[in-house]
Amino acid sequence: MEALTQFFAIYGSLVNFIGINAILALSLYLTLAAGQLSLGSAAFAGIGGYTAGILTMKLGVPFLLSVVAGSVLSGLVGLLIGLPVLRLHGVFLAIATLAFGEVVRITVLNLDITGGAQGLVGIPNHTKTWGIYLALAVVGYAIAKLRYSRLGWCFESIREDETAAGAMGIDTTYYKTLAFVLGAMLAGFAGALYAHLNYLITPREFGFSVAVDLLIFNIVGGTRAWYGPILGAVLLTALPEILRGTGITAGPMRMAVNGLILLLVILFLPNGLVSIFRRSASKAKDSTLAISEEA
Amino acid sequence: MDLLAQQLVNGLFIGSVYGLFAVGYTLVFGVLDILNLAHAAVFTLGGLIALWLVETWGLSIWIAFPASVLICGLLGLLLDQVAFAPLRQRADSNFSGLISSIAMAIIFESAALGLFGARTVRFPAGTVSVHIWRWEGLSITSLQVEIVAISILLMFALTQFLNRARVGKAIRAVAENDRTARLLGIHVDGIIAFTFFISSALGGAAGILFGLYFDSLSPDMGRSIELKGLAVIILGGMGSIPGAILGGLAFGLSEVLTVAITGTSNLRDAVAFTVLFTVLVLRPSGLLGRKKLREA
Amino acid sequence: MHNIQRLKPLVVTLVMALCFLSGQLSTEVFAAASEAKIGFALSMTGGAASYGATQTKGAQLAIDEINAAAGADGLKILPVFEDDASVPQQGISVFNKFINADKVSIIIGPTLSNTAQVADRIAQDAGMPVLGISNTAKGITEIGDFVFRNSLTEMIVIPNTIKVAKEKFGLKKVAVFYGNDDAFTKGGYEAFKKALADAGIEILTEQSFAKGDRDFSPQLTQIKGKNPDAIIVSALVEEASGIVSQARQLGIAATVPIIGGNGFNSPALIKNAGEAAEGVMMGAAWNASSTLPANSKFVAAFTAKNGGAPDQFAAQAYAGVYIAYEAIKKAGSTTDHKAIRDALLQLKELDTVLGKFSFTAGRDADHIPVVQIVKGGKFTVLE
Repeated sequence: MEALTQFFAIYGSLVNFIGINAILALSLYLTLAAGQLSLGSAAFAGIGGYTAGILTMKLGVPFLLSVVAGSVLSGLVGLLIGLPVLRLHGVFLAIATLAFGEVVRITVLNLDITGGAQGLVGIPNHTKTWGIYLALAVVGYAIAKLRYSRLGWCFESIREDETAAGAMGIDTTYYKTLAFVLGAMLAGFAGALYAHLNYLITPREFGFSVAVDLLIFNIVGGTRAWYGPILGAVLLTALPEILRGTGITAGPMRMAVNGLILLLVILFLPNGLVSIFRRSASKAKDSTLAISEEA
Repeated sequence: MDLLAQQLVNGLFIGSVYGLFAVGYTLVFGVLDILNLAHAAVFTLGGLIALWLVETWGLSIWIAFPASVLICGLLGLLLDQVAFAPLRQRADSNFSGLISSIAMAIIFESAALGLFGARTVRFPAGTVSVHIWRWEGLSITSLQVEIVAISILLMFALTQFLNRARVGKAIRAVAENDRTARLLGIHVDGIIAFTFFISSALGGAAGILFGLYFDSLSPDMGRSIELKGLAVIILGGMGSIPGAILGGLAFGLSEVLTVAITGTSNLRDAVAFTVLFTVLVLRPSGLLGRKKLREA
Repeated sequence: MHNIQRLKPLVVTLVMALCFLSGQLSTEVFAAASEAKIGFALSMTGGAASYGATQTKGAQLAIDEINAAAGADGLKILPVFEDDASVPQQGISVFNKFINADKVSIIIGPTLSNTAQVADRIAQDAGMPVLGISNTAKGITEIGDFVFRNSLTEMIVIPNTIKVAKEKFGLKKVAVFYGNDDAFTKGGYEAFKKALADAGIEILTEQSFAKGDRDFSPQLTQIKGKNPDAIIVSALVEEASGIVSQARQLGIAATVPIIGGNGFNSPALIKNAGEAAEGVMMGAAWNASSTLPANSKFVAAFTAKNGGAPDQFAAQAYAGVYIAYEAIKKAGSTTDHKAIRDALLQLKELDTVLGKFSFTAGRDADHIPVVQIVKGGKFTVLE
């Protein structure tokens, strides 16, 4: 028991970050599930985080209400951006969302209400570890359920071949936008939780490199199963601390190991870490398929 | 008036640096449909390696420049062999390639950090002699002229090479359709490797020129130009060499004119990225890009 | 049922990860009675890597000197260096490790003010004294009574600089140029703006740049068009040297002085801007050319060890180690954090490379800032 207390004293905040990053990774997963490569998740998290932070801090709005408000606003912006950009594909969509993310970051930098470069300081500390993991559990469950629902199959078909999906009578624009907006809302939600974790958020925490990190979580974990992004987020968020523990403290070395792990995963585990489990559990998967087809 | 003239000079100059950086970027994209995000890291290493050759080995910049460009070309081969070639048969190779290039970018940057340290350094004063011309309040340096000249020369040579030389034509054939190219007896893997060589060599050259002009080299110098380079190749049209040059100039001018017209610089990058966003939405194939029926 | 099946691998990995992490706990090293453990949370990678590097060198030099002087029986320093990768998240992890696993006597760092804003609160809550050696943003020491810093803030350095510059050059109207996406440079800009308003100097134009920018000619061209008496710049040295050299290249006369803050106080400015650096003025917390015995010794030893002259970040790190060491010695305990905190507050007129050093009642640095000017390729004090 004492060891556990000690563990939380040292790694408590890391555990929180892991949870938040896992939710963020899932928000991108939703978009990826419909085959849309977005680099805007970090910006949506920023919109949610700043909205919720400003609401609780400056207007005294209750925590839960401001989290909801942050998610909703983020979703609305997602809708506004999604409608024009989702006509784009692949890398082009990625770059359009990236440009959007940069515009959001620069706007936040230049506003007074957000505190500019110094960040929004003094946000009350409302987010608790159990809250994060409860949220993660609910979101994870919902996304796992979604995968074998009608909606999930629509996403999957668009991801496999958008033209064919359209020909089959699936309203691809509707489903793509839906996936994008849901992803934006979830990112905004995670951002709002994050804002209430450490008194402070800064524009840099929602920049390009974070957007890339979220993508990396998904790839390393694997996007063929709902728990892939969670796995990626857990491993890669903990990695700096694991390396620190193993004595690889020198700066550049740690960075190199980070890059190397990413490279090895992409080269040898095409479907991410998930494929390790999937291979052994392929039987279970077959039976799942059978069940959901019956249903 | 001379204020605006100076701003135009500023914009044309920085635009041609962006263009030179973007040419290598867009070349790989044209051939492989892959965004090579390690390009900025090669750009950084190019500058730092040239500096190392000049400082530690006492070489003249005229030898260090081609030597470093050659080393960058070899890094490009390494990049292809390690990060791209193994993924080529995969269905999602443009997606996984994007990720493996990010991995290589991290590794290259950590190597730059480990080998050269985190400090911002410069080429020793007098590595190239610089003359400043002043005319009616306008000022242009000889180095600016040289850099623009080298950029134009490199881009012209590249275009000629792609249009005339056998290997250049083979590159275009692979870009058009690699399966057909293979059927026609083209050694596709060799051509792709060669494309990476040229692309990275050009990226390294851009890094050296950048470092020479701005007197500042550091392991993270590629970061700020990375996003701008992306914007440039989109503006110009992915895979289009003249487009990259035009896109570079357009981007450079848009930055400068935002400052000149609004009088403030807070929104400089925001305007540039809004332009990028708008171009993407209105004309996804860029200014000079070809339209594809089914994009990857 | 099958849902639980699919959860299994996740649970297994989570448990494995937790076990692995907790396995690290047993690697704690306990300091001997005559050793004071000091945790250094510095940025060795990421955006502030160059500052972390020079801070590490400065701190290491002080540690070596102290440990060599301590002999066999004296109090030695056992340093623990950790990289916060220039991001607040990792800064928090490092602080938690120092407090709960390493059980250090005092934490020195972190490099960036943004990280300090969040990480220092953890130290405050745990009753762990923390000494900032480069945080200059406002509101850091307000976090609580365990948070100290030996870095003179821009709010103290800059008004003094403007006052001296106004007397010397008779400034009436100036242009302001600053980095607007960085807490340090933005804070410097606000300090300049206030100091200029207080001194009755008009601001003709305000221009900004982003971290990592290398081309400043569009903004400088705008500034040139306004014919200011001086250009006030809030930048870190990476950008500062480019700004200075490009300003002169664009034909802004050398009679228009360029005035900067703490960020300019680095040999890299002179090295990277070359001749253009001549006449650049800056307010600073550390006088590089000071001939105080402590300082000459430091500059010589640092240069000999690292093959290059120290900058202000190295000097403040070096001084920070001596300040922390003095406090621990005075407290007579390496584990009583409250006693160490009280000892820090009681330090008076300690001889450091920064000059005679004390803390204010608000736990900020209290020593006299200098105004320097670059002359003949060297920093000299402007009287």
